[in-house]
Amino acid sequence: MTLSPLAHKQWQRFRSIKRGYYSALLLVVLLAMSCGAELLVNNRAVLVSYHGTLFFPTYGHFLPGTTFGLDYDYETNYRELAVRLAAGGEDGWVLLPPVPYSAFENDLRESEYPPYPPSFSSRHYLGTDTTGRDVLARLVFGFRIAMTFSLVLLACNYLIGIAVGCAMGFWGGAFDLLFQRVIEVWSNVPFLYVIMIIASIMVPTFWTLTFVMVLFGWMSMTWYMRTSTYKEKTRDYVLAARALGASSPRIIARHILPNTVSVIVTFIPFSIAGGITALTALDYLGFGLPPPTPSWGDLLSQGTDNLDYPWIVTSVVTAMIVVLLMVTYIGEAIREAYDPKRFTYYE
Amino acid sequence: MNDAAAMWFRGLVFVIGMGAADAALALPDRLPDNLVWVSNDDDPEFAAPEAKRGGTFRTSMSSFPLTLRRVGPDSNGSFAGYLRHNQLSLVAWHPVTRRPIPSLASHWAFDPDGKTVYYRIDADARWSDGVPVTSADFEFTRDFMRSKHIVAPFYNDNYTTQIVDIRGYGDNIVGVEGASPRPPEELMYEYGPSVVPKHFHELDENWVSRYNWKVEPNTGPYQISEVRKGKFIELKRDPNWWANDRKYYRNRFNPDKIRIKVVRDYNIEFQHFLRGDTDTFGLVMPQFWHEKAKGPQFDNGYIGRYWFYNNLPQPAAGMFLNEDDPILQDRNVRIALAHAMNFDRVINTVLRGDYARMQTFNEGFGDYDNASIHARPFDLVKAREYLEASGWRNRGPDGILVKDGQRLSLRVTYGSPYHTDRLVILREEAKKAGIELDLSLLDSASAFKQMQEKKHQIAWMTWASQGLSPEYWQFFHSVNAHVAQTNNLMNHADPAMDKLIDEYRASTSTRMRVELAHRLEQMVFDSGSVIPSFKVPYTREAAWAWVKLPAWLGSRTTDALFDPLEMSAGVYSAGGLFWIDVEEKRRIRAAMAAGETFAPILKIDETHRRRDLE
Repeated sequence: MTLSPLAHKQWQRFRSIKRGYYSALLLVVLLAMSCGAELLVNNRAVLVSYHGTLFFPTYGHFLPGTTFGLDYDYETNYRELAVRLAAGGEDGWVLLPPVPYSAFENDLRESEYPPYPPSFSSRHYLGTDTTGRDVLARLVFGFRIAMTFSLVLLACNYLIGIAVGCAMGFWGGAFDLLFQRVIEVWSNVPFLYVIMIIASIMVPTFWTLTFVMVLFGWMSMTWYMRTSTYKEKTRDYVLAARALGASSPRIIARHILPNTVSVIVTFIPFSIAGGITALTALDYLGFGLPPPTPSWGDLLSQGTDNLDYPWIVTSVVTAMIVVLLMVTYIGEAIREAYDPKRFTYYE
Repeated sequence: MNDAAAMWFRGLVFVIGMGAADAALALPDRLPDNLVWVSNDDDPEFAAPEAKRGGTFRTSMSSFPLTLRRVGPDSNGSFAGYLRHNQLSLVAWHPVTRRPIPSLASHWAFDPDGKTVYYRIDADARWSDGVPVTSADFEFTRDFMRSKHIVAPFYNDNYTTQIVDIRGYGDNIVGVEGASPRPPEELMYEYGPSVVPKHFHELDENWVSRYNWKVEPNTGPYQISEVRKGKFIELKRDPNWWANDRKYYRNRFNPDKIRIKVVRDYNIEFQHFLRGDTDTFGLVMPQFWHEKAKGPQFDNGYIGRYWFYNNLPQPAAGMFLNEDDPILQDRNVRIALAHAMNFDRVINTVLRGDYARMQTFNEGFGDYDNASIHARPFDLVKAREYLEASGWRNRGPDGILVKDGQRLSLRVTYGSPYHTDRLVILREEAKKAGIELDLSLLDSASAFKQMQEKKHQIAWMTWASQGLSPEYWQFFHSVNAHVAQTNNLMNHADPAMDKLIDEYRASTSTRMRVELAHRLEQMVFDSGSVIPSFKVPYTREAAWAWVKLPAWLGSRTTDALFDPLEMSAGVYSAGGLFWIDVEEKRRIRAAMAAGETFAPILKIDETHRRRDLE
């Protein structure tokens, strides 16, 4: 792949801003890891060898306890199996993930009441929540859900926002005037109330939540796209393209859009941060994804209700601060990389 | 114009029609001759004879009342209890025998129509300002409660459609007619009017604002003596209270004064209590009993802790399965589901062992309880047997049972986010039986609406349970099945059960009703449509050592040990048994100053614990 000289320069500039660059690297690594989170954080073993046969329980069908000579037909408890096989007597071994708990499983003890504090011996590295679920497991899967939500939201919002904004700027006139009014009216619908009403009469799913958020979230991008399209439209190269006989779609797609890309790109990190906080806030208020979905908002509300067990609130607040800081650093770096004025600094 | 006239005309006919109906329902002009007057002087006393009068009982409320009226706007706040329970009712309910006992009325008689009770007002009964209580007060109560001026639609309706008529016969006898026949005791409970002093009220459109801060005369032992707005309210004991020496009222209501201070936060209230600014504190909440009620005041015996098991009607809490649902219409699945619910695990973990398992749908009604029934325990073997009998044999890739391409996944509708903790544990445990619970948390009003419209599969909820005997008609009769807006959430329709329910409702013999209730409860159990969940069969409280209780702490229907009035929330006249030992208070204060200590006080009373119902 070859980059245009300008893009190459921007990339060099981005790389030279260290904290943004490393944040981006780290976030990409975290995202990639969260895609395979089942291998790292799971109550299913990564690998089991039993009587000479190898099993890979992580993905695929559940394996009943009877598979490994246990007396139950529900899902095998691999932690117990690992202890039993390690004790010897039977041929086999179990390779457990580093965090051997799922985000849903209640690890409860007979003589002690949850939440349990962080402990290396029980492998609850960040402790458990009020029903004995592993905080780290819920953080990891909550992160994956929040990031997915945020990225899907971003894609939909930008697709609609850019299309409408470009059209408004390019055609102008009555079309522009009409859409401006539509957007003004639409942005005044109190979006939080809509979510509350929906959450009270039905259980919101991932997609209904995304749909509602897109319904009220696409407008902000239109204003920026409208103004930059207006600006670009009057430039000579657009006139030249038109003189050569290029069609309107071609002019928008091939000439105007690439020249407004800096506007789009600089907004992306902040939209991602916005998406994460929006979902967390909704979950915190109880209008988000239904229980028992792992979510940061749910952990946050549990943590603030149980300040006597500080590991819950500390874990989730730290995680949020770290992720949002990283996203902000990336945003800063991108903005600077795209800034034509070479010597502006954001300090 | 014509239309308006027609409307007016129709309205007039309606009013006349109402009048005619009233006349048909009204009580007779003359007292019937053949009435048999009864009273109840045979039940045991339940207060401690060694109780001492005196001292001030200091307690708190979370907000200052917006009015001192008993009815009308803003009258249903937390202070309302102090006003309402300082007004005696016609009869009270004995906390041990659960039978009616004399209160404002000394005797009562039942009309053969099964709807009317005549009461003889105690000749000594006085308002706190010395005016005798007469039947005219009751007649006034009827008009008062029906008046639009009090701005209380509930009372307007209740004293029109439920209590159909109230009428005086001479100064001392009053008749009360209810809407439909009931067994005698139910009649007195359900259609028992309160009484309003006629000489005090002047009803007009300004009543609500004019009477907002006026202290109404009352018939109970205490009278409001000081109101400091936003700060506190003080009640003073009338030393010459007319019922002082009545059998069921002597040695009760012992403190001379009750001072109720405003403390807006529960944790701050606890700090006030630890400092000795208030005398008692409720410890029902697990974190208070287990974690916060510790420290020198407790170890040194200055503050005592009490855990008192009682035996009261329990709110009917559980899972209510919709029998119209394609999966749940199969009784085997319902019973398997009951065996797949690990309630004990929930109790022993997130509920800290503080709750108990509810065994039957109705519980805590004394003789009515059917103690031979025990809720189905968590038992995966039995769950599998029942499921296999209905063809649920194969598990899908995720371990959930599958039959004809359908997964055994059931939606649990609930309305309280605080119950998510309990449900997630049940959900994880049910997976072992191959059943998936899909948790559907809605806003509580929407959840209840969905249940009332019978659109749920499993309803997770609690029915507030009050009254003298269990209710079956609204929950299990077939007239309430398959229609929206009724409480038969199970859509249970069984002709045999209908017959028993009708008999139960019509029967006027308590012995008969108890027997029918036992059979009905068995039928509820056999249907498998109700999976009972939890109950809290006790009260837990803390009190400074100078607050004394009888040796037996309370009676079986005591719902609050340190209740200064006749009752707090329940039906039974169980309150007002404690007293403040003023000399002991001086001694303890001195001991605290000198650093002297006593043995810690921890009393756990299981006399009334129904182990057969656990």
